[in-house]
Amino acid sequence: MLRVEDLTKVYEKGGRGRKETVRAVDDVSFDCNPGEIFGLLGPNGAGKTTTLRCISTLIKPTSGNVYIDRYNVLEHEKTIRSRIGFLTSDMKLDGFFTPGYMMDYFGSLNKMAKEEIGRMKDLLFNELQMNDFVDKKIDKLSTGMKQKTAIAISLIHDPEVIVFDEPTNGLDVITSKSVTDFLRKQAGNGKTVLISTHIMSIAEKLCSRFGILVKGEIKELGTLKQILDRNSTDSLEDVFFGYVLPEGGSGVGHAQ
Amino acid sequence: MLSDSMIILRKELKRIFTDRRSLFFLVVLPLVMLPAMYSVMAKMGEVKDSDIASFRSTICLYEGEGNSGFTTPFIQTLSELNTNLRLVERDELDAVKQSITGREQELLIVLPDHFGESLEACETFDISAFYNSTADYSVYAYEQSQQALLTLTDEIVRERITGRGICDDVLSVFTINGSMQEYDLAPEGSVIGKVIGILLPFFILIYLFANSMKVGLDSVAGEKERGTLAIQLVNQVDRLSIVIGKMLSVMMAAVVGAASSVIGLIIASRYFISMFGDAGPAMSGYSMSTLSILQFAIVTIPLAVLVASIVLIVSTYARNAKEGQGMIMPIYFAVMIMGIASMQAGDVAPVWMRSTPIFNSLIVLKSIFMHDAAWGSIMTAVLSSVVVSAVIIYLTLRMFSNEKILFRI
Ligand SMILES: Nc1ncnc2c1ncn2[C@@H]1O[C@H](COP(=O)(O)OP(=O)(O)OP(=O)(O)O)[C@@H](O)[C@H]1O
Ligand SMILES: [Mg+2]
Repeated sequence: MLRVEDLTKVYEKGGRGRKETVRAVDDVSFDCNPGEIFGLLGPNGAGKTTTLRCISTLIKPTSGNVYIDRYNVLEHEKTIRSRIGFLTSDMKLDGFFTPGYMMDYFGSLNKMAKEEIGRMKDLLFNELQMNDFVDKKIDKLSTGMKQKTAIAISLIHDPEVIVFDEPTNGLDVITSKSVTDFLRKQAGNGKTVLISTHIMSIAEKLCSRFGILVKGEIKELGTLKQILDRNSTDSLEDVFFGYVLPEGGSGVGHAQ
Repeated sequence: MLSDSMIILRKELKRIFTDRRSLFFLVVLPLVMLPAMYSVMAKMGEVKDSDIASFRSTICLYEGEGNSGFTTPFIQTLSELNTNLRLVERDELDAVKQSITGREQELLIVLPDHFGESLEACETFDISAFYNSTADYSVYAYEQSQQALLTLTDEIVRERITGRGICDDVLSVFTINGSMQEYDLAPEGSVIGKVIGILLPFFILIYLFANSMKVGLDSVAGEKERGTLAIQLVNQVDRLSIVIGKMLSVMMAAVVGAASSVIGLIIASRYFISMFGDAGPAMSGYSMSTLSILQFAIVTIPLAVLVASIVLIVSTYARNAKEGQGMIMPIYFAVMIMGIASMQAGDVAPVWMRSTPIFNSLIVLKSIFMHDAAWGSIMTAVLSSVVVSAVIIYLTLRMFSNEKILFRI
């Protein structure tokens, strides 16, 4: 189980004389269970990427902690890393190599045996329907194929916790669907899945629980039904706009 | 830990050495650049020399007033040259000078008025020769005429002496190096060695840097930009392994470039012989002994590590490869100036140069190519490269665990 507790991240900017600080994530808490897909929703600059980076040990929380079972990011960096598969939002793999080679490379960096790498490759290539292009140079692949490759690479070590930052960013509906289907299947296999997104329609269909993050703070937390009931509306998008647009307006195009 | 570095190294090397384009830039270019450059230079030199020699230039001669009867030997001497000799009048002089400036004619020789009287009185008089130092043909005509006129003076002097009943053998006292012996005692091939020694450290430094930049900027800043560095950091690899793996790959690319340029310049050295003319054993072909190849490797590899670590620390600090490029350029220019300064340093470099990292390696390389390197200075150079790179690698490592630098926005 993944548990985020009172997570706060303050960035320092500038330096030399006047220091500017940005409270990118402010006292955020939520958890995510095996078999569940948790959606962290928020507009640009809300702090989604920052939260996910703290979870995956890339940056250190200013305060608060993140637990996977009984391990936490402050004391057990290495263990956490071995249990997490992390996908950054705009990954561009080196176009020179093939997906197959990249899998071998990251597999061996994860200290996996050859047979194990082979097994995971077969599994992931099949599930993501990648077999047609595993031996083509990444340069020659479409955006969707590249994203599938990035996904496969981040999961080569068969992690229990999947942390994906905007996994459907820039994909067409068909590839989006194959990614969301894949994630659903992973959750079905007992994985803990956490994704961030700002696309409500995808989140609504995919996630079982949500956290709405605005300016670093969690404004809503719960299942779709809980959130909709609390706001007495039938669309997650309206709830979202309620927080994002000034003065509760529901007009279009005034997002800040 | 080291095995992780090796996995990273293997991937980086595959990236570098199986890609035809990068192979061309890193290996082939440094190899063929110098031979190509020098062969073209030598060829151009030959073509130019023979073209100038075969060109029929126009020499204008003003005979001066009141000189009839005295100018004949001058006209005769000048017309023996491969030129058009044109006699001009006083009022043409300015126009002729202008045409020499405009490269239409090559030379104007002005004899002073009434020089016949000076000649008879054995008084020195002055002849003016106007030329254009920026025009090759004009300079050549000037040199040729000067030579011819000096020969004419010799003849006149000889006539004067014999005319006074003195034998002309008083004119000669001694000659220097007048027999067919070889007087230059420099060892065989050492002149070329000296030329190589002066040029090569500069080119080695340039290629170490160019190749490191080609590989190193992408290797960290590029991966940062693409988001692939983050995946590696989330993996089970420690940061030291990443730094060492990248470091080794950049260094290897650098060393390959340096070695290629060495081989390239040795191939190019056969053109030096024709460029410097004057053949002799000291001008014969250049070769490196096993010892000097060994010494070359001992000095160059730590220097490559140093250059690679400089590129890597910039690459680690930069947000993306492009920013890294901008940051490294000033350093590249500074290093280039160091290379040029070491070329100018002469046989005994100043103390501050010999005790500055990079500089001391360049100076030692120079003496290695001239076959007179001392192990003491080799070790000093190696040690200073190693110490400085160790400091830089340590700082790079610190940057790798500093999220403010890894995720700078
Ligand atoms: N490395 C950093 N240094 C300083 N400030 C940062 C850094 N990374 C993010 N920020 C700031 O923190 C805030 C949250 O950024 P973050 O990238 O987490 O948002 P996000 O929800 O992922 O946005 P997006 O949807 O645009 O990806 C922003 O105001 C951003 O400017
Ligand atoms: Mg983001």
